[in-house]
This record gives sequence, C-alpha cells and structure tokens, in this order.
Amino acid sequence: MRKDMKEQHPLSWRFLPGIIPGLFLVAWIMVSATELIPNYLLPHPLEIAEAGYAYVLGRPGERPYAGRFLSDAGASLFRVGCGFGVAVAVGLPLGILSGRLALVHRLMSTTVNALRAVPGITWLPLAMVWFGIGMKTTVFLVALAAFFPIYLNAAAGAKQVNPLWLQAGAMMGVRRVRGTFAILLPGAMSHLMAGLRLGLGISWAYLVLGELTGVPNGLGAVIMDARMLGRIDMIVVGIIVIAFIGRMSDQLLQVGMKLCFKSARRTA
Amino acid sequence: MSSPLRAVALPFRKGRGKILEIERLQKVYPMNGGFLPVLEEITFQAESGELICILGRSGCGKSTLLKIVAGFVPPSYGKVLLKGARVKTPGPDRCVIFQEDALFPWLTVRENIAFGLRGLDQNKKSRKAEVDCFLELVGLGDFGDYLPNEISGGMKQRVALARVLILKPEVLLMDEPFASLDAQSREEMQKLLLSLWQELAITILFVTHDVNEAVILADKILLMGKNPGRIREEIRVDLPRPRDRESSAFMSVSRRLCEALRD
Repeated sequence: MRKDMKEQHPLSWRFLPGIIPGLFLVAWIMVSATELIPNYLLPHPLEIAEAGYAYVLGRPGERPYAGRFLSDAGASLFRVGCGFGVAVAVGLPLGILSGRLALVHRLMSTTVNALRAVPGITWLPLAMVWFGIGMKTTVFLVALAAFFPIYLNAAAGAKQVNPLWLQAGAMMGVRRVRGTFAILLPGAMSHLMAGLRLGLGISWAYLVLGELTGVPNGLGAVIMDARMLGRIDMIVVGIIVIAFIGRMSDQLLQVGMKLCFKSARRTA
Repeated sequence: MSSPLRAVALPFRKGRGKILEIERLQKVYPMNGGFLPVLEEITFQAESGELICILGRSGCGKSTLLKIVAGFVPPSYGKVLLKGARVKTPGPDRCVIFQEDALFPWLTVRENIAFGLRGLDQNKKSRKAEVDCFLELVGLGDFGDYLPNEISGGMKQRVALARVLILKPEVLLMDEPFASLDAQSREEMQKLLLSLWQELAITILFVTHDVNEAVILADKILLMGKNPGRIREEIRVDLPRPRDRESSAFMSVSRRLCEALRD
C-alpha cells in the first residue's frame, strides 16, 4: 500500500564517500615516493598497511605489537562502554527533567554550565590522584565528557517537544508515566539521538586521553607506546583503527536506536 | 453511505438533555500589574447531540473558552459542568480537534488512531477491527500505514477526527479545525463532519471565525464580541439540512451575522 519513499541514486552515489580518502591516499603515496617528507616522519602507506596487518591479524610475538588488536580494542571498547553508559544513565534522565521542570533547570543550569566551561583535560591530574592510572580514570573522564552533550541535548529536546502533542495526550487520557514514554521521549528523539551521537564521539576522544597516561593496553596506550619507541607507522595504525571503530560505533548506535524505537526510525 | 459503524457496537449516548453547562465563566490574565479580562460572564448550555458554533473575530477569546472547556486552562471564575460534574482536567470525555496538526509524527495513521485505546482493556483483534472501522469512517481506508508527514492537511484532520471519535467522547471540541485547509477540502471536511455528527449523535462545540462555516454547520450559533470576550447573541439556525449555501434563506442568515460581526 505504502509507496517506497526511498530516493533512487545513480551508482556513483555509493562511491561518493570514498573520494576524499582516496584522493588523500594518492597524495600520500606521491609525497612518500618523492621523499618530499622524510620516511621517519611519514612512512609509506604500504608500511602502514603492513604494520596494520600484523597488528590486527598477526600472531603475538611475531614482531612488536603483532596480534594485539583484539585485546586493545576490547579493553578500549569496554572503557568507552562503561563511561558512555554512565553518562547516558545520568545525563539522559537529568536532561529530560531539566527540560521539563523549571525547578530542576534552575537548580542545575549554573552548575552544569560552570563545569562545562572547564576543559575535560583539566580533570586528568585530579582523576589520576583519585583513581590512579588506568580503567577508573579513563571511565571517569569519558563519563564526564560525554555527560554534557547528552544532558544538554536531552534538555533542549524535552523543552521543544510540541505542547500540542502533550495536550493531545492529556485529552486522550494519557497519564504522566505513559505520557513520558509514549509522547515526550519519542517527541524529543531527534535531539536525544544528536546528544547520544555527540556523547559517543567525545567518548572516544577522552578514551585516548585516559589511556595516554600509561595503561598497559588499549588503543590510546598503543599510540603512546609507539611514540616512545619512535614507531610512527603504529601511531598512524592506531589513528586509523580509532577512526574506523569510532565510525562503526556511531553507526551501530544509530542502527540500534532505529531498530529499537519507531520514533528514531521515522523522525530522527 | 453504508455505515461501517454497524460492524461495532455504538456506545455513543443518544437521547436529549443538557450535557454541558457553562456557568458565569470569566477569565482574566495578569498584565503589567493589572488584569486583562479575556472572557466575561459566559453562560450557555449544550443539549446532547447539539452542534453549537462559537463565532467571533480573532482575539475575542473563543479559543480560550474552548481551552477552558477542554480543561487545559482553568477559569478565573465560574465553572464548566459535564453531565453535572465539574470539569477540572483534560480527559477523553471532551476531546479536542486542534487547528494545527497535532498528530504524532512517529506513528502511522493507524497507530495514531489506536493511540488512545492503548491502556484500555481490550484484545488486539477487536482493537484492530475498531481502528479499521474508524479509518473507513473518515474515508482513509487505504492510508492506514502512511505517516502523518506523507498525507495532506485535510487527511491529517480526518485522522485527528478518527483518533478522538474512537474514544467515544461526550463532547467534541473543535478549534477552527479547517481554517488552514483550502476551500475545497474545507467543504469536504464540513460535509464529513456533518455526516459523522448525524450518524454518531455527538455533541459538538465548534469554534470558527468563518460565518458561512457556522451557518452550514450549526444548530445554534453563539456570537462573541471582544474586549472582553462575551456572548452577544445566541442565534438558532433552523434551516433544513442539507443546507444550500446558494439559497436565499442561507444568505440572509449569513448576511445578518456578517453585519453583527462588523460592529
């Protein structure tokens, strides 16, 4: 019955996102081949590919960093997951409350905005004193950084929900609890999604910050370690892996939300 | 039109008698330290099954009056009684059709119509049958799976009608519901509303600034004046239905109303 509303695009549309990375790679190869930039500053892409291959698929012990990918990525994902989870669990409900209730907004906004003005990196020394090096510090930094976009967007989303929707719900006999889950949250979904995506993105940034402090494993740790050993190729591999996993996690978040919520599927 | 309503029981209440009583309603808004009176001494009654139009120019407080009856806004003084009981909060016994689109954009037409039924105890099968029946009733049989953003303004108002009629309200409150539609759709919607009204025997309070709309629809027209808003005149419209916009009787009523609105 319902028409398929998806737009039709020519085949070239599919390759559009690849153009910029492709051009970048070509430029890189040319720069390396002509030794415009010396190899110890920027290795040839093939060397990167080799190091990346060993890192992801090589057998441990074969060469330095070989085969560490899974354990590093697993550790990093776990830290991001914990930190982001805490940020969502605190930021989302608080944000919604502050968007709907003037009292909560008045109570929170000065504090939140003052804390937000402090760059996340400033917390690092304090976090290291409190939590030591490793898991706890990283999770703390990630949770703190991800909290703000999630909180602020949830508040904005809850505030701008069309009042007619709430009135319509009230006249149809919807009470507060159902109104929250059936009207308020779906109505704010595009903002909630934006907040979650921003929060997850910033989670990766602060993950690396937390891991730079000398934890034994994790993607940030590999980069820091490689810097000290002068392994530029591994630094670049680390950057690419983080870009890749970060992008994947963003897409996974979107797909997951769309699978779970009609409103994410249809309006966000 | 063979009625799809035959398929389901018809719990709409028939029979005469006062259903809605508005008693000495007043509304003032605080302004610059003083008070701005918006409504003054509004008193009227609606018989069960009556179609009443509240006619007035912009800013006469007619929408505020409707919001008070709906329970969205408390009156400053006076009261609203529905079947003798005082109205304080919004509820499914007084459903509203808003002027703007108030459908939930993340739900399909069908899900929008079923929205108010969730939470009532009812099995899925009979709920689906009922939704189908009301889809058919407002002429949207083929559009159940569309999203609100994929259908026209007139169709959205049909969905809005279906989603409240399915709750069997005692009174239907309509706040210039067809004002933003084009002339053809508006006429179609007026026809649809009249046929639903006759079939379901609902009581309707219809706010409008359009004289012809009021004369086409109403049993009784409450003419409102402004500053502050009050009822200037109660006019019975006894023209036989279906009413003909071209007839001289129709035109003389609307001419009279136009003049009354002017001063």
